[in-house]
Amino acid sequence: MAKKVLNVEDDPDIRTFVTTVLEENGYIPIMAKDGEEGTKKVKQEKPDLIILDILMPKESGIKMYHELKRDPSHKDIPVVMLSGVSKRTFLRSQVALTEFGDETVPEPEAYLEKPVEAEDLAEILKKILG
Amino acid sequence: MKTTTMLFVSEFEELWFDALQSLMGLRKAGLNHVVFLHVIQREKVAMRRGTGYLKQEERKLREIADIRFIDWAETLFEEGMEVGAHIAIGNVVPKILSVAEIEKVDLIVTARKRRGKLEELFAGSETSDLLRRTVKPVLIYNYLSQSGKVGENPFERLLLALDWSVSSEKVLDFVLSLKGAIKRVEIIHVLSEKGIGKLSKMEAHKVERDNKKRLDEVCDVFAKERFDARPHLYIGSAEEQIEKGASEHKATMIIVGTRRASVWKEKWSGSVAHSLAEKSELPLLVVPADVK
Repeated sequence: MAKKVLNVEDDPDIRTFVTTVLEENGYIPIMAKDGEEGTKKVKQEKPDLIILDILMPKESGIKMYHELKRDPSHKDIPVVMLSGVSKRTFLRSQVALTEFGDETVPEPEAYLEKPVEAEDLAEILKKILG
Repeated sequence: MKTTTMLFVSEFEELWFDALQSLMGLRKAGLNHVVFLHVIQREKVAMRRGTGYLKQEERKLREIADIRFIDWAETLFEEGMEVGAHIAIGNVVPKILSVAEIEKVDLIVTARKRRGKLEELFAGSETSDLLRRTVKPVLIYNYLSQSGKVGENPFERLLLALDWSVSSEKVLDFVLSLKGAIKRVEIIHVLSEKGIGKLSKMEAHKVERDNKKRLDEVCDVFAKERFDARPHLYIGSAEEQIEKGASEHKATMIIVGTRRASVWKEKWSGSVAHSLAEKSELPLLVVPADVK
Protein backbone atom coordinates (compact mmCIF):
# COMPACT_ATOMS: atom_id res chain seq x y z
CA MET A 1 0.00 0.00 0.00
CA ALA A 2 1.25 3.49 -0.90
CA LYS A 3 2.60 5.49 2.02
CA LYS A 4 1.08 8.77 3.11
CA VAL A 5 3.29 11.88 3.30
CA LEU A 6 2.07 15.05 4.96
CA ASN A 7 3.55 18.29 3.64
CA VAL A 8 3.14 21.28 5.95
CA GLU A 9 3.97 24.35 3.88
CA ASP A 10 2.46 27.83 3.45
CA ASP A 11 3.94 28.61 0.02
CA PRO A 12 1.54 27.31 -2.68
CA ASP A 13 4.37 27.01 -5.25
CA ILE A 14 6.37 24.74 -2.97
CA ARG A 15 3.25 22.74 -2.06
CA THR A 16 2.72 22.08 -5.79
CA PHE A 17 6.38 21.11 -6.23
CA VAL A 18 6.32 18.68 -3.29
CA THR A 19 2.98 17.20 -4.40
CA THR A 20 4.46 16.48 -7.83
CA VAL A 21 7.55 14.83 -6.35
CA LEU A 22 5.42 12.72 -4.00
CA GLU A 23 2.99 11.57 -6.71
CA GLU A 24 5.77 10.78 -9.17
CA ASN A 25 7.41 8.58 -6.57
CA GLY A 26 4.27 6.70 -5.63
CA TYR A 27 3.40 8.35 -2.32
CA ILE A 28 0.01 9.76 -1.29
CA PRO A 29 0.38 13.51 -0.65
CA ILE A 30 -1.56 15.22 2.14
CA MET A 31 -1.30 18.99 2.40
CA ALA A 32 -1.52 21.47 5.27
CA LYS A 33 -0.81 25.17 4.95
CA ASP A 34 0.33 25.95 8.50
CA GLY A 35 1.42 24.26 11.71
CA GLU A 36 -2.04 24.37 13.24
CA GLU A 37 -3.62 22.56 10.27
CA GLY A 38 -0.57 20.27 10.14
CA THR A 39 -1.12 19.10 13.73
CA LYS A 40 -4.79 18.37 12.95
CA LYS A 41 -3.84 16.38 9.82
CA VAL A 42 -1.29 14.34 11.79
CA LYS A 43 -4.06 13.21 14.14
CA GLN A 44 -6.61 12.61 11.37
CA GLU A 45 -4.43 11.02 8.68
CA LYS A 46 -1.63 9.38 10.68
CA PRO A 47 0.97 9.97 7.93
CA ASP A 48 4.06 7.78 7.46
CA LEU A 49 6.30 10.82 7.09
CA ILE A 50 6.05 14.60 7.48
CA ILE A 51 7.78 17.23 5.33
CA LEU A 52 7.79 20.35 7.45
CA ASP A 53 8.45 24.02 6.71
CA ILE A 54 9.34 26.40 9.56
CA LEU A 55 8.20 29.99 9.03
CA MET A 56 4.44 29.82 8.53
CA PRO A 57 1.31 31.58 9.77
CA LYS A 58 -0.55 30.42 12.91
CA GLU A 59 2.02 27.88 14.14
CA SER A 60 5.67 27.55 13.16
CA GLY A 61 7.34 24.29 12.17
CA ILE A 62 9.62 24.71 15.18
CA LYS A 63 6.71 24.58 17.60
CA MET A 64 4.92 21.85 15.66
CA TYR A 65 8.06 19.68 15.56
CA HIS A 66 8.68 20.15 19.28
CA GLU A 67 5.12 19.20 20.17
CA LEU A 68 5.10 16.26 17.76
CA LYS A 69 8.26 14.77 19.25
CA ARG A 70 6.93 15.13 22.80
CA ASP A 71 3.68 13.37 21.91
CA PRO A 72 4.04 9.61 22.60
CA SER A 73 1.54 8.65 19.90
CA HIS A 74 3.26 10.64 17.12
CA LYS A 75 6.90 10.97 18.14
CA ASP A 76 8.01 8.07 15.92
CA ILE A 77 6.74 9.63 12.67
CA PRO A 78 9.87 10.56 10.70
CA VAL A 79 10.19 14.25 9.86
CA VAL A 80 12.04 15.90 6.98
CA MET A 81 12.52 19.61 7.57
CA LEU A 82 12.33 21.66 4.36
CA SER A 83 12.88 25.33 5.06
CA GLY A 84 14.72 28.56 4.31
CA VAL A 85 15.63 28.71 8.01
CA SER A 86 19.08 27.26 8.64
CA LYS A 87 19.58 23.92 10.41
CA ARG A 88 21.78 25.68 12.97
CA THR A 89 18.88 27.96 13.94
CA PHE A 90 16.47 25.02 14.05
CA LEU A 91 18.69 23.07 16.44
CA ARG A 92 19.35 26.13 18.61
CA SER A 93 15.63 26.89 18.77
CA GLN A 94 14.90 23.35 20.00
CA VAL A 95 17.54 23.82 22.71
CA ALA A 96 16.03 27.22 23.60
CA LEU A 97 12.61 25.58 24.06
CA THR A 98 14.08 23.07 26.53
CA GLU A 99 15.38 26.01 28.59
CA PHE A 100 11.76 26.80 29.42
CA GLY A 101 11.41 23.42 31.09
CA ASP A 102 10.51 21.32 28.05
CA GLU A 103 12.11 17.94 27.39
CA THR A 104 14.85 17.64 24.79
CA VAL A 105 13.73 16.25 21.45
CA PRO A 106 15.71 14.24 18.87
CA GLU A 107 16.99 15.73 15.64
CA PRO A 108 14.81 15.31 12.54
CA GLU A 109 15.51 12.44 10.12
CA ALA A 110 16.72 14.92 7.49
CA TYR A 111 17.14 18.66 7.11
CA LEU A 112 16.87 20.22 3.66
CA GLU A 113 17.42 23.91 3.10
CA LYS A 114 15.37 25.51 0.31
CA PRO A 115 15.63 25.39 -2.63
CA VAL A 116 15.81 21.63 -3.02
CA GLU A 117 16.08 19.53 -6.19
CA ALA A 118 13.30 17.02 -6.91
CA GLU A 119 15.83 14.15 -7.10
CA ASP A 120 17.35 15.03 -3.70
CA LEU A 121 13.93 15.11 -2.04
CA ALA A 122 12.90 11.83 -3.69
CA GLU A 123 16.14 10.16 -2.59
CA ILE A 124 15.69 11.24 1.04
CA LEU A 125 12.09 9.97 1.05
CA LYS A 126 13.16 6.64 -0.43
CA LYS A 127 15.94 6.31 2.14
CA ILE A 128 13.55 6.88 5.05
CA LEU A 129 10.39 5.15 3.80
CA GLY A 130 11.96 2.47 1.67
CA MET B 1 -5.37 41.24 29.51
CA LYS B 2 -1.88 39.94 28.72
CA THR B 3 0.42 40.73 25.83
CA THR B 4 1.68 37.38 24.60
CA THR B 5 1.34 37.80 20.82
CA MET B 6 2.51 40.82 18.86
CA LEU B 7 1.82 41.63 15.21
CA PHE B 8 4.79 43.44 13.67
CA VAL B 9 3.80 45.13 10.42
CA SER B 10 6.72 46.15 8.26
CA GLU B 11 7.04 47.59 4.79
CA PHE B 12 10.82 47.38 5.30
CA GLU B 13 11.30 51.02 4.38
CA GLU B 14 10.17 52.32 7.76
CA LEU B 15 10.33 49.58 10.36
CA TRP B 16 13.39 47.43 10.78
CA PHE B 17 14.73 44.74 13.02
CA ASP B 18 16.21 47.24 15.50
CA ALA B 19 12.67 48.44 16.25
CA LEU B 20 11.56 44.84 16.81
CA GLN B 21 14.52 44.11 19.08
CA SER B 22 13.83 47.22 21.12
CA LEU B 23 10.44 45.69 21.99
CA MET B 24 11.86 42.47 23.37
CA GLY B 25 11.62 43.95 26.87
CA LEU B 26 7.96 42.92 26.57
CA ARG B 27 9.07 39.32 27.11
CA LYS B 28 9.25 40.18 30.80
CA ALA B 29 5.51 40.90 30.57
CA GLY B 30 4.73 37.60 28.84
CA LEU B 31 5.44 38.23 25.14
CA ASN B 32 6.38 34.91 23.51
CA HIS B 33 5.02 35.07 19.96
CA VAL B 34 5.79 37.52 17.15
CA VAL B 35 3.85 37.52 13.88
CA PHE B 36 5.33 39.38 10.92
CA LEU B 37 3.16 40.96 8.27
CA HIS B 38 4.30 42.50 5.02
CA VAL B 39 1.67 43.86 2.66
CA ILE B 40 2.59 44.31 -0.99
CA GLN B 41 0.53 47.23 -2.27
CA ARG B 42 -1.75 46.18 -5.08
CA GLU B 43 -0.60 48.96 -7.40
CA LYS B 44 2.94 47.53 -7.38
CA VAL B 45 1.77 44.35 -9.10
CA ALA B 46 -1.52 45.47 -10.66
CA MET B 47 -2.51 45.00 -14.29
CA ARG B 48 -0.70 47.30 -16.73
CA ARG B 49 -1.60 47.92 -20.35
CA GLY B 50 0.49 45.62 -22.48
CA THR B 51 2.03 43.63 -19.64
CA GLY B 52 -1.00 42.36 -17.68
CA TYR B 53 -0.71 41.26 -14.06
CA LEU B 54 2.93 41.50 -12.91
CA LYS B 55 3.26 37.93 -11.62
CA GLN B 56 7.05 38.05 -11.85
CA GLU B 57 7.14 41.27 -9.82
CA GLU B 58 4.87 39.73 -7.20
CA ARG B 59 7.15 36.71 -6.95
CA LYS B 60 10.19 38.95 -6.54
CA LEU B 61 8.55 41.10 -3.83
CA ARG B 62 7.37 38.01 -1.96
CA GLU B 63 10.86 36.53 -2.15
CA ILE B 64 12.44 39.74 -0.78
CA ALA B 65 9.96 39.80 2.12
CA ASP B 66 10.53 36.11 2.80
CA ILE B 67 14.32 36.50 2.96
CA ARG B 68 14.04 39.41 5.39
CA PHE B 69 11.51 37.67 7.61
CA ILE B 70 13.60 34.49 7.75
CA ASP B 71 16.60 36.53 8.86
CA TRP B 72 14.58 38.25 11.60
CA ALA B 73 12.83 35.03 12.61
CA GLU B 74 16.10 33.12 13.01
CA THR B 75 17.20 35.49 15.79
CA LEU B 76 13.89 35.20 17.60
CA PHE B 77 13.62 31.39 17.19
CA GLU B 78 17.08 30.99 18.73
CA GLU B 79 15.84 32.94 21.76
CA GLY B 80 12.98 30.47 22.20
CA MET B 81 10.26 32.72 20.73
CA GLU B 82 7.45 31.51 18.48
CA VAL B 83 7.39 33.32 15.13
CA GLY B 84 4.89 33.41 12.28
CA ALA B 85 4.82 35.32 9.01
CA HIS B 86 2.23 36.58 6.54
CA ILE B 87 3.01 38.12 3.17
CA ALA B 88 -0.10 39.50 1.50
CA ILE B 89 -1.19 41.63 -1.43
CA GLY B 90 -3.79 44.35 -1.01
CA ASN B 91 -4.65 47.30 1.21
CA VAL B 92 -2.63 47.57 4.41
CA VAL B 93 -5.36 48.29 6.97
CA PRO B 94 -7.79 45.47 6.06
CA LYS B 95 -4.86 43.02 5.96
CA ILE B 96 -3.66 44.14 9.40
CA LEU B 97 -7.17 43.71 10.80
CA SER B 98 -7.58 40.28 9.24
CA VAL B 99 -4.19 38.91 10.37
CA ALA B 100 -4.71 40.39 13.86
CA GLU B 101 -7.95 38.38 14.02
CA ILE B 102 -6.51 35.15 12.58
CA GLU B 103 -3.47 35.18 14.85
CA LYS B 104 -5.39 36.50 17.90
CA VAL B 105 -2.75 39.14 18.56
CA ASP B 106 -2.69 41.30 21.68
CA LEU B 107 -0.71 44.21 20.23
CA ILE B 108 -0.20 45.65 16.74
CA VAL B 109 3.10 47.39 15.99
CA THR B 110 3.31 49.52 12.89
CA ALA B 111 5.02 52.62 11.59
CA ARG B 112 3.14 55.80 10.75
CA LYS B 113 1.50 55.27 7.39
CA ARG B 114 0.52 58.06 5.04
CA ARG B 115 -1.63 58.30 1.93
CA GLY B 116 -1.67 60.80 -0.92
CA LYS B 117 -2.66 64.36 0.14
CA LEU B 118 -6.06 64.30 -1.53
CA GLU B 119 -6.92 60.87 -0.18
CA GLU B 120 -5.81 61.93 3.34
CA LEU B 121 -8.10 64.95 3.17
CA PHE B 122 -11.14 62.72 2.68
CA ALA B 123 -10.19 59.47 4.36
CA GLY B 124 -7.45 60.48 6.83
CA SER B 125 -4.12 58.66 7.01
CA GLU B 126 -3.85 54.87 7.06
CA THR B 127 -2.73 55.14 10.70
CA SER B 128 -5.94 57.00 11.59
CA ASP B 129 -7.94 54.45 9.65
CA LEU B 130 -6.32 51.62 11.61
CA LEU B 131 -6.90 53.35 14.95
CA ARG B 132 -10.55 53.86 14.06
CA ARG B 133 -11.16 50.26 13.06
CA THR B 134 -9.17 48.09 15.43
CA VAL B 135 -10.03 46.82 18.89
CA LYS B 136 -6.39 45.98 19.62
CA PRO B 137 -3.79 48.26 21.21
CA VAL B 138 -1.62 49.79 18.49
CA LEU B 139 1.97 50.87 18.93
CA ILE B 140 2.88 53.42 16.28
CA TYR B 141 6.59 53.32 15.99
CA ASN B 142 8.42 56.34 14.73
CA TYR B 143 12.11 56.51 14.20
CA LEU B 144 13.39 59.19 16.54
CA SER B 145 13.80 62.53 14.75
CA GLN B 146 16.22 62.57 11.87
CA SER B 147 18.78 60.21 13.42
CA GLY B 148 17.07 57.10 12.07
CA LYS B 149 17.73 55.39 15.39
CA VAL B 150 15.23 53.84 17.76
CA GLY B 151 15.34 54.04 21.52
CA GLU B 152 16.79 50.94 23.17
CA ASN B 153 13.67 50.18 25.17
CA PRO B 154 10.58 52.29 24.54
CA PHE B 155 8.85 50.74 27.57
CA GLU B 156 11.52 52.05 29.93
CA ARG B 157 9.85 55.35 30.79
CA LEU B 158 6.22 55.82 29.81
CA LEU B 159 4.18 58.96 29.70
CA LEU B 160 0.67 57.81 30.49
CA ALA B 161 -1.94 60.42 29.55
CA LEU B 162 -5.27 60.07 31.36
CA ASP B 163 -8.47 62.07 30.75
CA TRP B 164 -10.57 60.15 33.32
CA SER B 165 -12.78 58.63 30.61
CA VAL B 166 -13.66 54.94 30.09
CA SER B 167 -10.74 54.69 27.68
CA SER B 168 -8.43 55.91 30.47
CA GLU B 169 -9.48 52.95 32.59
CA LYS B 170 -8.62 50.60 29.71
CA VAL B 171 -5.22 52.26 29.27
CA LEU B 172 -4.56 51.89 32.97
CA ASP B 173 -5.42 48.17 32.92
CA PHE B 174 -3.23 47.67 29.87
CA VAL B 175 -0.21 49.40 31.43
CA LEU B 176 -0.65 47.41 34.65
CA SER B 177 -0.65 44.21 32.57
CA LEU B 178 2.82 45.11 31.28
CA LYS B 179 4.34 44.77 34.74
CA GLY B 180 7.94 43.69 34.48
CA ALA B 181 8.54 45.42 31.16
CA ILE B 182 8.07 48.99 32.41
CA LYS B 183 10.57 50.82 34.60
CA ARG B 184 8.82 54.10 35.29
CA VAL B 185 5.45 55.72 34.57
CA GLU B 186 4.91 59.46 34.36
CA ILE B 187 1.16 59.97 34.71
CA ILE B 188 -0.21 63.17 33.22
CA HIS B 189 -3.62 64.80 33.17
CA VAL B 190 -4.12 67.96 31.12
CA LEU B 191 -6.64 70.57 32.28
CA SER B 192 -8.31 72.61 29.58
CA GLU B 193 -7.10 76.23 29.64
CA LYS B 194 -10.48 77.39 28.31
CA GLY B 195 -12.39 75.49 30.99
CA ILE B 196 -10.23 76.82 33.82
CA GLY B 197 -10.42 80.38 32.45
CA LYS B 198 -14.19 80.40 32.95
CA LEU B 199 -13.94 79.51 36.64
CA SER B 200 -13.43 81.71 39.70
CA LYS B 201 -10.07 81.43 41.46
CA MET B 202 -11.62 79.31 44.19
CA GLU B 203 -13.30 76.97 41.71
CA ALA B 204 -10.09 76.66 39.68
CA HIS B 205 -8.17 75.66 42.82
CA LYS B 206 -10.83 73.08 43.60
CA VAL B 207 -10.53 71.56 40.12
CA GLU B 208 -6.75 71.51 40.51
CA ARG B 209 -6.99 69.84 43.93
CA ASP B 210 -9.52 67.23 42.74
CA ASN B 211 -7.39 66.27 39.74
CA LYS B 212 -4.22 66.05 41.81
CA LYS B 213 -6.08 63.76 44.19
CA ARG B 214 -7.16 61.52 41.30
CA LEU B 215 -3.61 61.43 39.98
CA ASP B 216 -2.33 60.45 43.44
CA GLU B 217 -4.92 57.67 43.61
CA VAL B 218 -3.71 56.31 40.26
CA CYS B 219 -0.12 56.49 41.51
CA ASP B 220 -1.17 54.48 44.58
CA VAL B 221 -2.62 51.77 42.29
CA PHE B 222 0.72 51.60 40.47
CA ALA B 223 2.71 51.66 43.72
CA LYS B 224 0.72 48.65 44.96
CA GLU B 225 1.88 46.78 41.86
CA ARG B 226 5.46 47.95 42.50
CA PHE B 227 5.66 50.43 39.63
CA ASP B 228 7.62 53.64 40.00
CA ALA B 229 4.92 56.19 39.11
CA ARG B 230 4.84 60.01 39.32
CA PRO B 231 1.82 62.35 38.93
CA HIS B 232 1.85 65.48 36.75
CA LEU B 233 -0.90 68.02 36.23
CA TYR B 234 -0.58 70.23 33.15
CA ILE B 235 -2.79 72.91 31.68
CA GLY B 236 -3.36 73.86 28.04
CA SER B 237 -4.01 72.00 24.79
CA ALA B 238 -3.98 68.26 25.56
CA GLU B 239 -1.92 67.29 22.53
CA GLU B 240 0.71 70.02 23.06
CA GLN B 241 0.99 69.44 26.79
CA ILE B 242 1.34 65.67 26.41
CA GLU B 243 4.23 66.21 24.01
CA LYS B 244 5.72 68.80 26.37
CA GLY B 245 5.35 66.44 29.34
CA ALA B 246 7.00 63.65 27.39
CA SER B 247 9.93 65.89 26.58
CA GLU B 248 10.29 67.33 30.11
CA HIS B 249 10.24 63.91 31.76
CA LYS B 250 12.38 62.24 29.10
CA ALA B 251 9.67 59.73 28.28
CA THR B 252 10.52 56.94 25.85
CA MET B 253 6.91 56.36 24.83
CA ILE B 254 3.48 57.99 25.11
CA ILE B 255 0.38 55.96 25.97
CA VAL B 256 -3.13 57.27 25.41
CA GLY B 257 -6.63 55.90 25.06
CA THR B 258 -9.00 56.51 22.19
CA ARG B 259 -12.72 56.40 21.56
CA ARG B 260 -14.39 55.31 18.37
CA ALA B 261 -15.46 58.23 16.16
CA SER B 262 -16.33 58.78 12.52
CA VAL B 263 -13.77 60.23 10.11
CA TRP B 264 -15.57 63.57 9.96
CA LYS B 265 -16.21 63.89 13.67
CA GLU B 266 -12.59 63.15 14.28
CA LYS B 267 -11.48 65.61 11.63
CA TRP B 268 -13.54 68.51 12.96
CA SER B 269 -13.67 67.88 16.68
CA GLY B 270 -10.16 66.48 16.79
CA SER B 271 -8.80 63.47 18.65
CA VAL B 272 -5.70 63.64 20.80
CA ALA B 273 -4.69 60.07 19.96
CA HIS B 274 -5.07 60.56 16.22
CA SER B 275 -3.30 63.88 16.28
CA LEU B 276 -0.37 62.47 18.29
CA ALA B 277 -0.25 59.50 15.94
CA GLU B 278 0.35 61.88 13.03
CA LYS B 279 2.88 64.14 14.73
CA SER B 280 4.63 62.62 17.73
CA GLU B 281 8.27 61.72 17.30
CA LEU B 282 8.11 59.27 20.19
CA PRO B 283 6.57 55.82 19.84
CA LEU B 284 2.87 56.13 20.65
CA LEU B 285 0.76 53.35 22.13
CA VAL B 286 -2.98 53.79 21.61
CA VAL B 287 -5.42 51.65 23.59
CA PRO B 288 -9.01 51.62 22.27
CA ALA B 289 -11.87 52.02 24.74
CA ASP B 290 -13.40 48.78 23.43
CA VAL B 291 -10.10 46.87 23.54
CA LYS B 292 -10.37 43.09 23.14
